[in-house]
Amino acid sequence: LDENGDSWGMLACLCTVLWHLPAVPALNRTGDPGPGPSIQKTYDLTRYLEHQLRSLAGTYLNYLGPPFNEPDFNPPRLGADTLPRATVNLEVWRSLNDKLRLTQNYEAYSHLLCYLRGLNRQAATAELRRSLAHFCTSLQGLLGSIAGVMATLGYPLPQPLPGTEPTWTPGPAHSDFLQKMDDFWLLKELQTWLWRSAKDFNRLKKKMQPPAAAVTLHLEAHGF
Amino acid sequence: MDIYLRWKRPSRLVDNKRMRTTSDFQWLLSTFVLLYLMNHVTSQRKETPYDLKCTTNNLKMWDCSWKAPSGAGHGTLYEFCIDNRSHSCYQLARTNIEIPALSHGDHEITIRSLQDAGSSTSEFILNEKNISLIPDTPEILNLSADFSTSTLHVKWNDKGSVFPRHSNVIWEIKILRKKSMELVKLVTHNTSLSGKDAVHHWSWVSDLPLECAAHYVGMRCYVDSPLFSGHKEWSDWSPVKNISWTPDSQAKVFPQDKVVLVGSDITFCCVSQEKVLSAQIGRTYCPLIHLDGENVAIEVHDISVSDNSGTNVVFMIEDNVSGTVVFAGYPPDIPQNLNCETHDLKEIICSWNPGRPTGLVGPRNTSYTLFEGFSGKYIRFKRVEVSANGSYHQLLFQMVPNQEIYNFTLYARNPLGRSEATILVNITEKVYPHTPTSFKVKDINSTAVILSWHLPGSFAKINLLCQIEIKKINSVQELRNITIKGVENSSYRIAVGKLNPYTVYTFRIRCSAETFWKWSKWSNKKQHLTTEAIPSKGPDTWREWSSDGKNLIIYWKPLPINEANGKILSYNVSCSSDEETQSLSEIPDPQHKAEIQLDKNDYIISVVAKNSVGASPPSKIASMEIPNDDLKTEQAVGMGKGILLTWHQDPNMTCDYVIKWCNSSRSAPCLMDWRKVPSNSTEVLIESDQFRPGVRYNFFLYGCRNQGYQLLRSIIGYIEELAPIVAPNFTVEDTSADSILVKWEDIPVEELRGFLRGYLFYFEKGERDTSKIRGLESGRSDIKVKNITDISQKTLRIADLQGKTSYHLVLRAYTDGGMGPEKSMFVVTKENSVGLIIAILIPVAVAVIVGLVTSILCYRKREWIKETFYPDIPNPENCKALQFQKSVCEGSSALKTLEMNPCTPNSVEVLETRSTFPKIEDTEIISPVAECPEDSSGAEPENHVVVSYCPPIIEEEIPNPAGDEAGGTSQVIYIDVQSMYQPQVKPEEEHGKDPAGGAGYKPQMHLPINSTVEDIAAEDDLDKTAGYRPQANVNTWNLVSPDSPRSTDSNSEIVSFGSPCSINSRQFLIPPKDEDSPQSNGGGWSFTNFFQNKPND
Repeated sequence: LDENGDSWGMLACLCTVLWHLPAVPALNRTGDPGPGPSIQKTYDLTRYLEHQLRSLAGTYLNYLGPPFNEPDFNPPRLGADTLPRATVNLEVWRSLNDKLRLTQNYEAYSHLLCYLRGLNRQAATAELRRSLAHFCTSLQGLLGSIAGVMATLGYPLPQPLPGTEPTWTPGPAHSDFLQKMDDFWLLKELQTWLWRSAKDFNRLKKKMQPPAAAVTLHLEAHGF
Repeated sequence: MDIYLRWKRPSRLVDNKRMRTTSDFQWLLSTFVLLYLMNHVTSQRKETPYDLKCTTNNLKMWDCSWKAPSGAGHGTLYEFCIDNRSHSCYQLARTNIEIPALSHGDHEITIRSLQDAGSSTSEFILNEKNISLIPDTPEILNLSADFSTSTLHVKWNDKGSVFPRHSNVIWEIKILRKKSMELVKLVTHNTSLSGKDAVHHWSWVSDLPLECAAHYVGMRCYVDSPLFSGHKEWSDWSPVKNISWTPDSQAKVFPQDKVVLVGSDITFCCVSQEKVLSAQIGRTYCPLIHLDGENVAIEVHDISVSDNSGTNVVFMIEDNVSGTVVFAGYPPDIPQNLNCETHDLKEIICSWNPGRPTGLVGPRNTSYTLFEGFSGKYIRFKRVEVSANGSYHQLLFQMVPNQEIYNFTLYARNPLGRSEATILVNITEKVYPHTPTSFKVKDINSTAVILSWHLPGSFAKINLLCQIEIKKINSVQELRNITIKGVENSSYRIAVGKLNPYTVYTFRIRCSAETFWKWSKWSNKKQHLTTEAIPSKGPDTWREWSSDGKNLIIYWKPLPINEANGKILSYNVSCSSDEETQSLSEIPDPQHKAEIQLDKNDYIISVVAKNSVGASPPSKIASMEIPNDDLKTEQAVGMGKGILLTWHQDPNMTCDYVIKWCNSSRSAPCLMDWRKVPSNSTEVLIESDQFRPGVRYNFFLYGCRNQGYQLLRSIIGYIEELAPIVAPNFTVEDTSADSILVKWEDIPVEELRGFLRGYLFYFEKGERDTSKIRGLESGRSDIKVKNITDISQKTLRIADLQGKTSYHLVLRAYTDGGMGPEKSMFVVTKENSVGLIIAILIPVAVAVIVGLVTSILCYRKREWIKETFYPDIPNPENCKALQFQKSVCEGSSALKTLEMNPCTPNSVEVLETRSTFPKIEDTEIISPVAECPEDSSGAEPENHVVVSYCPPIIEEEIPNPAGDEAGGTSQVIYIDVQSMYQPQVKPEEEHGKDPAGGAGYKPQMHLPINSTVEDIAAEDDLDKTAGYRPQANVNTWNLVSPDSPRSTDSNSEIVSFGSPCSINSRQFLIPPKDEDSPQSNGGGWSFTNFFQNKPND
């Protein structure tokens, strides 16, 4: 699984390099690269994470056992209320501005990463833990990328309110079944968020694309 | 009435007593009868108090009641008197009384009712046996539930203080489920009363989680007081208490996160306000069991082991889902192979195999605690990783100072159970040291080194046993065990001696405690070269005089490494005689030969080898050679790699024997190598890598005396013989018409490659172009071979050859190693004139003789020739035959006259002639009539000559002279061979004309059948008899035996084979052999017989 993920990462990296090859720094006429490359990089990373999540989810749902790994299993969202919801009304989504979108993305992934780390602590098998740790690292990279894009665009990072920092609380209050439901929904939300983020970054990328070849190759292979 | 009652009562009591001892059935029956009687009695005595009954609930007080008489009103008073020692009476206005328990035995009770109308008295006999013991209804003090474990706890008071005596109590507890109060459990619980109030507890684990349905509990009791002789009865049931669970708004499934043993049965239930659609465990759907409301349950039997995250149990509810996780696993196995040892006497490592996997992971995994009994210390095993393959676990236990014996107990525990394993160890006997590190080697001298290493651990209290592996290059490893006192600082040193100087050694070391438990792993290898020492011996020396005899060449061999003890730098050579001493010094090492000009005096030559440490002892050799007169050169052939030389021991030889050898084709001085053998040996196997097969070597055996060496034997030999590589050169010296003289030359020694054993000479006729040298050894008959084993023979004359013929000559030499190549030559012998003349004369002479003989024969047989080839043609006018025929046949009117008009013998055809046949001397036709009888009786058919006449068919009826054989007439049919089949119709016509024909030949179909067998056959089918039949007496031929199957079923056809030739069959008519010959007797001829007999002439 890891090797597979790595190879895909390398492929994505290679694709990025090739995509930006016409815009090597030597040809760059402007001093400031602008937000374009980092948005592109964030978008690529999102797509890579989407792929990585597919294999992780397969492994993890098998670990949860039937019926969680059955394709038609679609339970109501029980007890997973603390998870940030990715689904949003299309009208509402369109009405959001870039800052708001990026902020929502950043906050969502901060929360999801925290839950994911909790998941990692609980996983019973070493192989699963490795997969989760690898995904967490990637997600951390995405979070950094979003922060980078926000910084480039001059948006402040959202400050976590004291006491609202999501914490993973293992305990008997939460039954194993509800925990599994949470895990199921965590993966599902992650998937939706990544899909939504890809859409957000694509939209942002198009918006920010300079008219001429002002795009600079600016590759810092964070997260890969 | 009273008397009756009085008498009646005891009888009832007696009955009661009996009842206790009899079976229940009898008791019931008696009771029934008594009740009937009592009713009968009471109906008669309603005027007095009746039906006295007493019960007790505590054995102290009896509660007696009776029925009022019929006339008793509200204010009726009763006097209740107990007639015992202290006559006591009670006045009371009611029909019951509580009296203290009476003693054993019968008590007379008198109840008198005092009413306005008068008084009536009843007397009763009261005994304890009539009393019923009915305990008070028990009361459940508390009913509680532990929902997590689905356990009900019941608590109640036994009120034991009211019972004066010690008694056993049986409690019956019933558990009811659901609102419909279905009984699910009825249990009895035994306690005993101690005279004080006691609170009792009872617990029950429900198979159905308590959350899912209301549970009700009720109980009653039965006091079994052993001293109470009365009737004991169950108390009434207590009021039920119930337990129920107030559900949340959300559906929930129970039990939650339960750990169960694999294979157990478990019930899951779902508390829901909405309708539950389905339930599944894992992938398996289960039928729903409906409980109160919408609650449902499922039963799972024989649950299988869970996956890592547990088995999911999910209930699908409308628009919702609820579930739980169950973990099915095993209790921990007994830790296997628990073993404790130490690496360093500081820390004890205990390891074990957890055994069967429990199937439980994470927080439900097995926890291990290692407890040490003497010190009371313990440590817990913290699992870092879930080991998938059940590998060994281990725990580190810090050693307690000054404690050697440890009693370890390993406790394993998980939610399903626990297990343990113990081990008692003396830790000093379980030392498995670490791998020695920092292993170093230092020189002491050329034969000893010091080894040092580091072995972590506090081994000060024990001795260590260490094993040193010493390995020389190309040598077997040597192991030396040493015991060394353990030290605290972990550094160890040891001296190792008995090594060879200037030798590369590889050392490594491992250790264990002196009380052996396990060797440590080997340390790293360390290679070390020991220092040099002086060479232990002088070099092996030999000397040769140069070919001119003026110089003495001294040879020596380099010292082997174990004698050189270092790197040899140079050699010193000195030659000393009585008069002078010459010396050559500092000859550098690679040179192993020195040449000194010497006169023929006796010299002693000494050679010394020197290395960096010093010089070797000198090796000495005398220069003188003692002559030997009777020296012969011998031959020897080696075996395998070497050559074995043997000799007889010579007592004169006081020092070594020396064998030197050289390649015989090399020029002098002849020396390839030498070898010294002790003076007491008589044989030596000379082996050398320089020896090559097929090369001739000279070996010289020298004996050593004080004065010098004497050549004892000279041997030429091969290590292995090979076939010659060249063929001998040969020439033809002389050629004659019948012989060739061949001469050949010797093969050089180098090309012979073995001792010559002979020559093979082949010769054959053949031209240069056509005759290929092909397979001389294949033993072709036209090749002649001569084997010349006399190797001194150099010529060969080949005789008995043909003149003017090309011969192919081949010559090859051979050794014991095989045949050499061939050399061939073509030679033509000279012409032979005599042979030519003979070749002409012989055919001429033969021709003349043949002509002569022919002429003589022709002359002598001229008559015969004439008759044969030119016979006299008879004149038809002189034909007497016609007249003779008429005269003979005149008497018979039936016979036709043979008309001779067309009787011109136009052709005579001889079908076949046989020597046995009576010769027909001329072509005159013999009368068939005259011939007929003879033919029919005995003439041989082979000799039969068919002479055809111009009209193809002539029929004659001739009276048979031998008519006694077969009466009737015979017909002779003469047929042309070409028209043999034509006259078949005729005989049938004749048959009708003359059924009783005369003797003579007769066609088969006309022959009367005498044989019974044939008679039957003929009657069966006349057509079948149309074949051949013997003309004469068929029986005498005895062709077929009557019992022969062939004769019976198809007689006509088979018989025809053994018969004279019929006109139809065209066969010969008489058997060829005697009548008694086996062939004719055998039921018919075969075709082979027929053909065999035919060419008998």
